[in-house]
Amino acid sequence: MHFIRYILKRLVYAAIILFFILSFNFLIFRVMPGNPVGTLQSPNMTPEMKQLVAEQYGLDKPLKDQYFIYIKNLLKFEFGYSFQTRRPVKDEILERLPNTLLLLGTSTLLSMILGILMGIFAAARRGSVAEHLTIGSGLLAYSVPTFFLQLLLLLAFAFFWPIFPIRGTMSIPPPTGFFPLLVDRLHHLALPALSLTIIGAGSWALYTRNAMSDALCQDYILTAKAKGLAPRRILYHHAFRSILPPIVTLFFLSLPGIIGGAVVTESIFSWPGVGRYLLSATLEANYPAAQGAFYLIALATLISNLVADLAYGLVDPRIRVGQGGH
Amino acid sequence: MRKLQVLLLTAVAVLVLLAVPALAAVEYSTKGPNADEIYFIIITEDEARLRALQLGEIHIYPGLTTPETIDTIYADLNMDITFDLGFHMFYTALNMRKKPLDDKVVRQALAHVVARDRIINTLFAGYMLPLESFVPQSSPFHHDDVKHYEYSPRKAAAMLDAAGYTMGPGGIRIDPATNKPMEEIEFLTPTFEIAPSSAQIGQLICDEARAIGIPAKHVPLDFNIMLDRLDIFDFDAYCLAWGLDRDPTFLYHFFHSSMDVKSGNNTPGIRDPELDQLLDTLYYAATYDEAMEASKEAQEMLSDLLPYITLYSRPYIDAFRTDKVKGYVPMLGYGAANYSNNWTTLNIAPVTDQPIRWLLPEDVKTLNPTVANSAYDWEILGRTTDSLMAVDPETMEDIPWVATGWEIETWKPNRAELDPECFANVDDEATKITFHLRDDVKFNDGMPFTAKDVKFSIDYYIKHKLQEQYQYLVDVVKVETPDDYTVVVYMSTLSYWHLGNLNRYWLPEHIWKNVEDPEHFQPWLEPHPTVEGLTQLVGIGPFMLESFEPGQYIHMVRNPYYWAAQ
Repeated sequence: MHFIRYILKRLVYAAIILFFILSFNFLIFRVMPGNPVGTLQSPNMTPEMKQLVAEQYGLDKPLKDQYFIYIKNLLKFEFGYSFQTRRPVKDEILERLPNTLLLLGTSTLLSMILGILMGIFAAARRGSVAEHLTIGSGLLAYSVPTFFLQLLLLLAFAFFWPIFPIRGTMSIPPPTGFFPLLVDRLHHLALPALSLTIIGAGSWALYTRNAMSDALCQDYILTAKAKGLAPRRILYHHAFRSILPPIVTLFFLSLPGIIGGAVVTESIFSWPGVGRYLLSATLEANYPAAQGAFYLIALATLISNLVADLAYGLVDPRIRVGQGGH
Repeated sequence: MRKLQVLLLTAVAVLVLLAVPALAAVEYSTKGPNADEIYFIIITEDEARLRALQLGEIHIYPGLTTPETIDTIYADLNMDITFDLGFHMFYTALNMRKKPLDDKVVRQALAHVVARDRIINTLFAGYMLPLESFVPQSSPFHHDDVKHYEYSPRKAAAMLDAAGYTMGPGGIRIDPATNKPMEEIEFLTPTFEIAPSSAQIGQLICDEARAIGIPAKHVPLDFNIMLDRLDIFDFDAYCLAWGLDRDPTFLYHFFHSSMDVKSGNNTPGIRDPELDQLLDTLYYAATYDEAMEASKEAQEMLSDLLPYITLYSRPYIDAFRTDKVKGYVPMLGYGAANYSNNWTTLNIAPVTDQPIRWLLPEDVKTLNPTVANSAYDWEILGRTTDSLMAVDPETMEDIPWVATGWEIETWKPNRAELDPECFANVDDEATKITFHLRDDVKFNDGMPFTAKDVKFSIDYYIKHKLQEQYQYLVDVVKVETPDDYTVVVYMSTLSYWHLGNLNRYWLPEHIWKNVEDPEHFQPWLEPHPTVEGLTQLVGIGPFMLESFEPGQYIHMVRNPYYWAAQ
C-alpha cells in the first residue's frame, strides 16, 4: 500500500515537472539571442521577404497563441515543422534516434560493465599495484578530452592502420543481406563506441571502487568471512549487492544521455545522430526542432528518474515496506 | 614588408594567370553526363575529410579553406587542385549613422590601416585575393579603377590631422565637432571559437586603429547575438562575408537608402541621393551596357564613400584524385566542383570502375526544391534540374541551353489591372521575354518538358509565395504559352536582370499540380504515381535521385532521358 502511494506521488510530481519543463522549453528559445529569420542571410532578401518568412514560420502570431499551439501539439507528440526544412520534426528526430541509441546505448552499457568490473577488481586488491594501475587508468580515461582521444583513435585506426572506417554508420554503398549489413554496422560502430566506452568506464570504475571499498569494510563482510564463505561470493553476493541501489540509480540517470547523443563524437565520426541535430537546431534558432529534441530529452530524464525511484524501491526493501519497517 | 608584398602579389598573379590558360586548355563537351552514378558522401569533420581523400574514400573534395590542408594535398602527386575566382566578399561594415564613422575622413583613414596583404599572408598563407572594389573580381561587372587605400598608417594619421582630429592625451584623437575625445568604435566579429580568422582580423584592425589614435575595441560575440544587433543597427563596425553572384544587383540591396530599414541589408545606413540614382539605374537597367556603366560608377562612388571596407575574396579551391576521376572543368565564379558548374557535372567521369565519390561537408536537410535554402541541399537538387540558359565557363555570358534562344522586348502593363499591394513599382514600359524551348527535353520519368511546365512553375511559386524562388519572381505579371515550346513572361518593370531571374527550378506539372501544401511536401519520400522505382523528385537534369540516406550519403544516377546525352 505504501509502495503504491509512493508510485502515485512520483507520477504526480513527474507530471507537474513536465509541465514546467515544457513551458521553460518554449520560453527559453524566445528569450535567447538569435531569430530564425535573421539566420537567413541572403543578399537579395528584402525586409518584406523576411516578414513573409516570419509569417510562414508562425512567428507573427502573439506569443500566447504560439504557446498554446505548442503545448497542444506536444501533448499529442506533434513537434511541428522544422523552420529550415519544413519537414516534420518528429520524422527528422526519428531518422536520427536509432543511430544515437545504438551508439550511446552500446557505449553506456559497455562502459558501465567494464567500469564496474574494473572498480570491483581494484577494490578487491586494496593497496596493490593492480589497484593503483586501475585507478590511474580510470582517472586518465575520465580526464582526457573526448575529442582528443577520438581524433587520435581515428588517425591511428582509420588512417595509419586502416582497420576501421573513417566515417558514418555504414559502407557506401552498403552491403546487401542481413548478416553482411549487421557486420558492416558493427564495424562502423566499433571505433566511436570504443572511444566513448573508454571515457565512460573511467568514472564508473572510480565510483564503483570507492563504493566497494566502503562496503568491504562493513561488519557483515567480516561476518561473511568468519562464516568461511568463498571470497568471490563475499565480493559479488554480499559487497556488490549492497552497492547495487546507487549503481542502479546511476544507470537510470545516465539513460537520458543516450537520447541526447554526443555532439562531438557525432561530428568527429560523421555519425548522424540527435546530438548534431540538436546543436544545429539551437544555433539556427530552429525553434520547433530544438524544442522537439529537448522535449524528448526532458521526457527521457523524467521517465528515467521515475524508473530509478521505482527500481530503487524494488532493490531496497526498506522503501517497499515503508519507513519503520512495517 | 616590401619583399613580402612583392612575393604575395606575384603569387596571386601566378594563380590568376595560371587559371586562364588552364581553363582555355581544358576541353569539355556540352554532351553528357559521362558518369553513370555519383555517391555524395557526408563527412563532417575536417581531419576525416582529408584522410578520406588520401585513402581514396572520396575522390572530390570541394571548398578547401585551410592552408595546411591545401599544402598537404598539393604535395600529393595523385591529386590536383583547381583555383577559381569566386563570388565571395569579406568586408568590414561601418555604421555611418554614428560618430565618428559618419565622417568620411575617419572611414577613409581606417581604410588606410587595413593591411590586406599582411592579413592574407598571415591568416591564409596567401590563398585569398585582396579586394578593394565592391564587386568580386570574378564578376564581369567588377571595376578595378576605383579609389585605392594602400596600407599606410602615416597617411591615415596625416588625413586625420588635416581634418582637425588632433591627437589628445592618452593617445586618443579629439573630435573637432565636439572638442572631446573621439567616441570609441566597437568592432563586432564572431568569436574566436566560431570564426577564428574573422575574429583575428577584427583584432588586427582595432590594433592598427588605436595606433593612429582612433579608439577601437574588438568585441567578439556569439553569432546570433551579433545578427540580432545588426538587425536593429546596434553596432559601430563589424566583419562578415557575403556569398554573392555574377550580377551586381546586390549593390542595390546593400547601399540603396530604401534598404536602410529594420531587417534591411543596408546596415551601414548610407543615404546618398546621387548613389541612389546610380543604384536605381543599375537595378532597373534596360540593357547590359547600361547596367555595366551604372555598376562602374556605383563602385567608384562607393570606394569614395566607404560604407564598407572590402578586404578579400575567397577563391574556390577544389581537390580531385586524378587517379580516380577526370573531366572536371574549372569555372570562373563557381569553381570546378560546384553544382552551378554544368560543365563538370556533364564531363566528370571515373578513371577506374569505381563510381565517383564526391564529398559533402554537411548534411543534406531537404530535397524539396521549393524550400531548400542550403548550399548542400542544392549540390543535389542542382543536378536534378537544368536551366533555360547556361553560363559560359570562360566568358560568364548566358548561352542557350534548354532554351534555344530568347527575345527581350517591352510591353505596356495596365496599371488598373495590377494589384498595388503586389506590384509596388510598375513602369510604363516593362520587360517582356520570350523563350523558345528545345523540343527534346524530358523529365527523368519520361514525360516531356514543355512550356506549360515553365508557366506552371512560375505561377506555382508566386501563388504559394515560396520564398526561395518567389523572391526572384515578384515582378512577374503573367506567363503565356502560345505553343508547347514557347513561353512569354511579362514583367511589371523594365530591367536587364529579369532574364537571369527567370532561371528557376522547373517543377513537373504532372507531379506538383496535386500538391496543395508544397512547403511540407517531401517528394523524395513519395513514390512516383505511375513509374515504379522512382520517387516524386522529378527533374530534367542530367542526374536523378537513386537513394538518400540522411546524414550518410546520396546516390545519384544518370537520367536515362537526359536531352544532352552523348
